[in-house]
Amino acid sequence: MKQKTTYIYLSAFIILAYILLPVLNADYLYTIQDNGIFINGKTFMNDMVNHYGGVTTWLACYLTQFMYHPWLGSTILILLWSFIYLSCVWYFQSRGYWKALLLLVPSALLFNILDYGYWIYYAKSPGFAFQPTLLTLFAVLAACTLRQILQAIKFKWATHIATDIVLLCCSAALTTLVGQWKLNNHRCSILTTLSDNNFRHELSMYRSLDEMRFNDVINEYKTAKETPTNLMVLFKNTALLHTGKLTDMFTTGNIGIKPEGENLPRLTISRLGAPLIYYLHGHTLFAYRRAMENNVQYGQNFRSIKMMARCALINQEFDLAFKYLTILRASIFHRQWAEQRLAYLTNSTIWMQSQEYQQVAPLAAILPSNLDNDEGVCHQYLMDTFSTLFDKSKATEDLAICMSLWNLDVYSFCVHFYDYVNDNPEAAIPQLYQEGAILLGTSEESPITLDGFRFDQLVADKFNQFVAEYRHMRELGIPEEDIGQRLRPYYGTTYWWYYYFSPAINFY
Amino acid sequence: MKLRNIIPSLLLAALLSACDHPTVPTNAQKEDRLPVITPDFTEVTVPSNICPLNFAVQEGATDVVAHVSYPGGSQTFGSGTKVIIEENDWKEMLSKAEGKNLKVEVYAKVNGTWKAFSPFNIYIAPDTIDSYISYRVIQPSYVAYEKLSINERNITNFDEREIYNNMSVSTEDKGQCINCHSYQNFKTDNMLFHMRQAYGGTMIVNNGTLKKIDLKTEETISAGVYPAWHPTRNLIAFSTNKTGQSFHTKDLNKIEVQDTESDLILYDVDKNEVSIISELEDELEVFPTWSPDGKTLYFCSAKFEYKNDSIAKETEMIQRYKEVKYNIYAADFNPDTKEFSNMHVIYNAADSLGKSATLPRVSPDGRHLLFAQAEYGCFHVWHNDADIYMLDLKTLKAEPVKNVNSDRSESYPTWSSNGRWIMVDSRRQDGNYTRPYIAYYDRQGKVHKAFVLPQKDPNFYTFYLRCFNRPEFMVEPVKVTPQEFAKKAKEDAIPAKYAK
Repeated sequence: MKQKTTYIYLSAFIILAYILLPVLNADYLYTIQDNGIFINGKTFMNDMVNHYGGVTTWLACYLTQFMYHPWLGSTILILLWSFIYLSCVWYFQSRGYWKALLLLVPSALLFNILDYGYWIYYAKSPGFAFQPTLLTLFAVLAACTLRQILQAIKFKWATHIATDIVLLCCSAALTTLVGQWKLNNHRCSILTTLSDNNFRHELSMYRSLDEMRFNDVINEYKTAKETPTNLMVLFKNTALLHTGKLTDMFTTGNIGIKPEGENLPRLTISRLGAPLIYYLHGHTLFAYRRAMENNVQYGQNFRSIKMMARCALINQEFDLAFKYLTILRASIFHRQWAEQRLAYLTNSTIWMQSQEYQQVAPLAAILPSNLDNDEGVCHQYLMDTFSTLFDKSKATEDLAICMSLWNLDVYSFCVHFYDYVNDNPEAAIPQLYQEGAILLGTSEESPITLDGFRFDQLVADKFNQFVAEYRHMRELGIPEEDIGQRLRPYYGTTYWWYYYFSPAINFY
Repeated sequence: MKLRNIIPSLLLAALLSACDHPTVPTNAQKEDRLPVITPDFTEVTVPSNICPLNFAVQEGATDVVAHVSYPGGSQTFGSGTKVIIEENDWKEMLSKAEGKNLKVEVYAKVNGTWKAFSPFNIYIAPDTIDSYISYRVIQPSYVAYEKLSINERNITNFDEREIYNNMSVSTEDKGQCINCHSYQNFKTDNMLFHMRQAYGGTMIVNNGTLKKIDLKTEETISAGVYPAWHPTRNLIAFSTNKTGQSFHTKDLNKIEVQDTESDLILYDVDKNEVSIISELEDELEVFPTWSPDGKTLYFCSAKFEYKNDSIAKETEMIQRYKEVKYNIYAADFNPDTKEFSNMHVIYNAADSLGKSATLPRVSPDGRHLLFAQAEYGCFHVWHNDADIYMLDLKTLKAEPVKNVNSDRSESYPTWSSNGRWIMVDSRRQDGNYTRPYIAYYDRQGKVHKAFVLPQKDPNFYTFYLRCFNRPEFMVEPVKVTPQEFAKKAKEDAIPAKYAK
């Protein structure tokens, strides 16, 4: 019976842990792994163990990589927690409800891993997901071993001292955890992890985008019930770009917000997703730069090294690509990814047939060569850069027009639109472009008058109706913000509504 | 069998295998070419006191054997695909082959069949090399940095240690950047390096005593940047620079580091005084370096006239970055009066060749000057076309140093104290990560094939994601400990005085 209660408590904990980890937070765990690193070999090992607690760090990095498969990584964690719990039960000879109380130890460790939220991008301690567990495990093991020895030599009073030591060790380990929270100032980020839907959408969308599953990105975006973050909008638009549906930019919702909250780190898109976004816009040097900066500032990580390898491939820096891919080949779970790309290095045909090459290389090819700086604001930089890209390339035709609309850049839009219509005389003009041209074509900022073009009657009528309703409400003295809200149900997906009523983008 | 009986046997077996030298395969098929090995140590000339040249064979092999012959003997090595040579064995071979060569025959087992490749030589020069080098360890980053250190490596073995590590004083909110270390005459009793941002200042070790100085005065552009310690006096020439960075959108040079303003200053260590050496209008002076007798100061300068008052200097510099081309100048120096005179161009890269010459370093005999040359700009470590040139200071003719150059960036050339070895920073391996390469400069004036600084693990450079920047030779280790540097770093810097 005594044993039975132990295992009942433990089973309940295990079920809870599985629900909270791989069932509900698989993308979260995958991202922790992706932002970590473990390279099999002496160089990495020496780099790790040359610090205090380096062996634990090295081991924690080793175990973190198993989060690549969240169920596998979670199982390892849960096994370790179970072992810690059973050791504590044995050590304290606990009975009855005290056994349940001892579940506080693995529960604290479970809480710790979930308590990072956005801090998973900013935590600099390598292997942070496993470190507290390993420290606690070592403390418990040390105490149990000591107790066994003392009992063997029949040193009874010393076992009490051992109890004190284990308590001290455990409290030291827990103090480390608490210390980490305080140092990182990420109190109560568990709410972000478990209930911030946008955070969870971002994690999922990143992975889909990274694996070039563009429709999954768009579908995930569509499931968002709250106002999306700017990062989600960028991810969605990047996916639209690669599915040839960028003109759906506004109909799918194009207004994002910056995540706010007092427990959040200073969020930047440079850290959260800029390398991937730049890469998929063909801006491989800026993608490489941001990946390198992230790799420097937040510690080496698979995500950045993979991105640097991809950029090196597109940039035809094959020796550099070989270096990064060789490093990745020395990992367990990124090995296959690396070997696939190492094959590209010896067979240019399969490289040029690959999805990555076909999607990214044409965009990279048309970028102008100059000196520039994104000043750390990827979102704005992309809008400015592509708005003013007048290369008349098919690959960036939609991108330039849509970005100029998004950027409210009247001059550039009108030039792009004029070129588009002349270059595609037979094609139907996308509704978005018509909406833009009807609104902006007669603007003072426009270098070309666009009212001579033939627009769809439905679009023109809708615009006239929009103008009429807008004017009417203004004459009634309705505040601008209220007008926006009243017009939103019918016009919210039009460019006109975006132009007049969307709040200024809060770049980060 | 009980465990206690097995353990000694296992230990013995392990010991024997550690000392084991593999046998040369007898039935190997001949391959009429050199093996592909990393690092490439084929046909290189090395100092007689260098550490072992461990290498890996890149032939898709599962096993390799290297048979190394030297005057009076031979040995075999091989462990998996690597050839790791014990230091004692290596030293014995070097001592017997000094002035001669080691002949290396490589056998590789590929798909179950042994192949015998054409042998190559490793020439052992009759000259030694300075036992120590130091370099800044940094990732090839753009703006961000985290852990930086200046490390010291004993190149007669594989010992490496940190001279100073910025993490000893950096915090999450207050990061510190460190750069540009310099020694007087290859010795470490007089040395310096800079720290920027948190706890900024110049750390100067003078006759073994450590000081932290703030070299920025109201009259100068900045604190000291690129330094050169006078060979005999307690004087240091520095450039002062206003430096910016911008980033290429397509050019694989990736980064441009540009000075919008720069001058030269002289710092008198004893008097703690800064004075101006050169602040010519429309000239960007940088990279001072002394002749071995201390009577000439060499430096680089680019003529650059700002033409557009309506935009910031930084913006104009970015727009016209390819117009910035440096020449090499010399100025006579009187160590007693500390006066400079007769400033003149000795190598006109900009106007005559349309190139930009930077990073000059004079040979210890004062006869030659090494420098890096590229199409434009000053920061050649990021310029793929940058190559090392040698200027004969008598004839003022320059030639590329072919055996140290590659199709990628070479920069930061320097001489060993005996003038027989040249060290440069090269990005030849992958285009992004700088590695120190060393080449023999023999008595006939020939530069031999350069080799990368050997590491214990032949695959080290592939897996290492940091650069070795600004490598410098030293004849002795740094005596001030990292802890002493860290303690001093936290103190306030002593402001330098300006002297007209």
